[in-house]
Amino acid sequence: MSTSTLTPGLPAPGRTFKQNLARLTFVDVALWTLRLLVLVVVVGGTIGTLINTKYGVAQWFDFIMFGVTIGSIYAQIALGYTMVYGVLRLINFAHGDIMMTGAFSGYFIATSFDRSGFLGAHPVLAVLGTLAVSVTVSTAIAVLAERVAYRPFRHVRGLAPLICAIGVSFFLEQTFRGMFGASVKSYPDLHWASASFSVAGLNVPKIDLLVIGCAIISMTVLYLVIHHTKMGTAIRAVSEDTEAAALMGIDVNRVVVFTFMLGGVMAGIAGVFYAFVFKQIYFYMGFTPGIKAFGAAVLGGIGSVPGAMIGGFFLGIVESVGPTLFFDGIGIPAPYQLRDLIAFTLLIMVLIFRPNGLLGERLAKPRA
Amino acid sequence: MPLGLRRASLLAACAALLSPLSHAQAATVGPVTDDIGVLTIPKGAPIQIAGYWVISGADAALGTDEVRGVQIAFKDHGDMIAGHPVKLSVEDDGCNAEGGQTAATKIAANPNVVLAIGPACSSSATAAAPILWKQGIADIGTATTAPKLTAPDRKPEYDGYVRTVYSDLDQGKSDAGYVYNDMKARKVVTIHDGSPFAQQLAAVMADNFKKLGGEVLSVEAIAPTDVDMHPLLTRIATEKPDVVYLPIFVAATAQIIRQKSEVSGLEKTTFIGSSGVMAPDLISAGGPAVVGFKITYPDVSPDALGKGYPAFVAKYKEAYGEGPISGYNANAYDAGVMAITAIEKVAVTAADGTTYIGKKALRDAIYATKFEGLSGPIACDPHGECAAFKPAVYEYTNADPATFDIGKNPKKIFP
Repeated sequence: MSTSTLTPGLPAPGRTFKQNLARLTFVDVALWTLRLLVLVVVVGGTIGTLINTKYGVAQWFDFIMFGVTIGSIYAQIALGYTMVYGVLRLINFAHGDIMMTGAFSGYFIATSFDRSGFLGAHPVLAVLGTLAVSVTVSTAIAVLAERVAYRPFRHVRGLAPLICAIGVSFFLEQTFRGMFGASVKSYPDLHWASASFSVAGLNVPKIDLLVIGCAIISMTVLYLVIHHTKMGTAIRAVSEDTEAAALMGIDVNRVVVFTFMLGGVMAGIAGVFYAFVFKQIYFYMGFTPGIKAFGAAVLGGIGSVPGAMIGGFFLGIVESVGPTLFFDGIGIPAPYQLRDLIAFTLLIMVLIFRPNGLLGERLAKPRA
Repeated sequence: MPLGLRRASLLAACAALLSPLSHAQAATVGPVTDDIGVLTIPKGAPIQIAGYWVISGADAALGTDEVRGVQIAFKDHGDMIAGHPVKLSVEDDGCNAEGGQTAATKIAANPNVVLAIGPACSSSATAAAPILWKQGIADIGTATTAPKLTAPDRKPEYDGYVRTVYSDLDQGKSDAGYVYNDMKARKVVTIHDGSPFAQQLAAVMADNFKKLGGEVLSVEAIAPTDVDMHPLLTRIATEKPDVVYLPIFVAATAQIIRQKSEVSGLEKTTFIGSSGVMAPDLISAGGPAVVGFKITYPDVSPDALGKGYPAFVAKYKEAYGEGPISGYNANAYDAGVMAITAIEKVAVTAADGTTYIGKKALRDAIYATKFEGLSGPIACDPHGECAAFKPAVYEYTNADPATFDIGKNPKKIFP
């Protein structure tokens, strides 16, 4: 039996066109139709939109800037998904809610700073203080979730760990709902960051620069931790082969806890910046960005840290630019209601062409 | 087990499973005969009324306010109906179709529910009303204004649905007139969120605006959960509208009014919202950006409402420690009164204290109810429309949520 892997829908090498045609299944036809349809919409829409001079350089710059901003938040959340998946092969569906816990805890300190005037007088210290509280809480909850909920399921096969993660997600949402109410809370404005400045006629919002800059810094630090520290090496070793890593003397429990800590830190940072940009927080706020970030992690190649970063930025940009670029030119009205359709169609397309995501799963050997 | 018997058992099991979904049947119970069934309430047992509103999330104030309106109506009646204590059970529908479907399924599964009151959101009512009526449960909407819910061509599955609130056909026309005649706007963009309320109100407003001679540059749509409105606003800015009309709900409205100042090209554009954002949560969520934001809304000033409204507000404050937190409390109160009146009209209590209520008779009694309500005259047409719209425009004047007081913040600026 041949061991070569064939991509579904693609013709096998060494066969004639007629042979391939005869072997076409309904699924192949459906997949090729989907690909062609997406291609026609993307290419036709893009040409149509660009021919129409309705949007200038400034507007395209804005679209991209806004996309990179939301994408940087997706990327930070996606890192939590991808690292936990890399180490435990667990999709931690509660990760979006861990981001929510960070945003909530940051809210209380940020509003205190705002009321006392500290936020206005010492904005950098106030933001750092807010981040510290948010990161501490989200990290503590991530570690607690691992210890209390996930560790007992670590060696359980099947869907139990996944169901447990969904349970943790509901638990966190409803706990925060019970503790802090169901209504929306609003983060204070960062007055010094709310304005924009102009560069060569292009509008650059300061808050976007702040969020993107901090996201890049935090992701760079994370990358350095994973690739240039002993613990990072241990994480990568456990990710490659848990049993071999344990035999080599690596404390797997410690590595897993550290991985959850890193995910919690990134979720805490993402939660605060998400809230500083979009202001509104409530108990269910983690669900949608969590799902999007999970999509970003899959898009980039779940298990791959750079993949999660790229997937997040890519998803954010496509969400922001896509509706106008692809749909405006072919006359589809109200294209922004189709933003999620674009994002998840993109995800499906990537998975059809590259089942392992853009950067693939970095594995030394195939997983079962 | 023989195959035939096994099949029969299977069919019986399926029938048993599906029985709660089947339409109620004609019945005679005690002294009452009814086309779709009779409810029996033993002596001393409560009259169970189910409510379903949005009581969590960004639009929680909208639903909570209406729960309170109904509760005060029952309290004013001594919390008794037809000699039985009244029990109001409230489900959270989340202001969406899925939530409405879930709430209605849960309510319909309780055979003791006499009728339903609510919801606040048309999307929820659109999904819920057919489920309830299939079980013979009439439903009184309290803030569900989508035209299709009481349209003459609505489907028979909505026959059990009435509302003590106006239709957006009236509000859309009024809003178009205000934007065209009073704001002197000639070019508008509308934004809806896909909900029946927002979609239908935006469409009615746009149609009427065009009839007046205005131009609708585009009809935009978002998802209620969207947070990043920058790309949409950038797109709208290229069209240079005079007014952006957004009859959507709190979370998305707050995002838009906050983010519009971060997009160049919208400096001269006025954003005007509608009925879904009369809530202190808009001030919390919108922050300083809420100041100057206008919303079209029914006139709920004491002089426009029924004579009893000031007394109602006093009771509201006494019971909940704050004034009304949204604007449909009077409509909800009227729904409560309508429920009480209709139940007492058709309830038959036997000598042993057991009360019997015919479901069809109750539905007909609800439709026949006429009274001078707190929100205005209540009288239903054959399609369940029982109230009229009194137009007004309000403007938020303060960014402190504690200052929310309908009439002051937001302040009535029209008429």
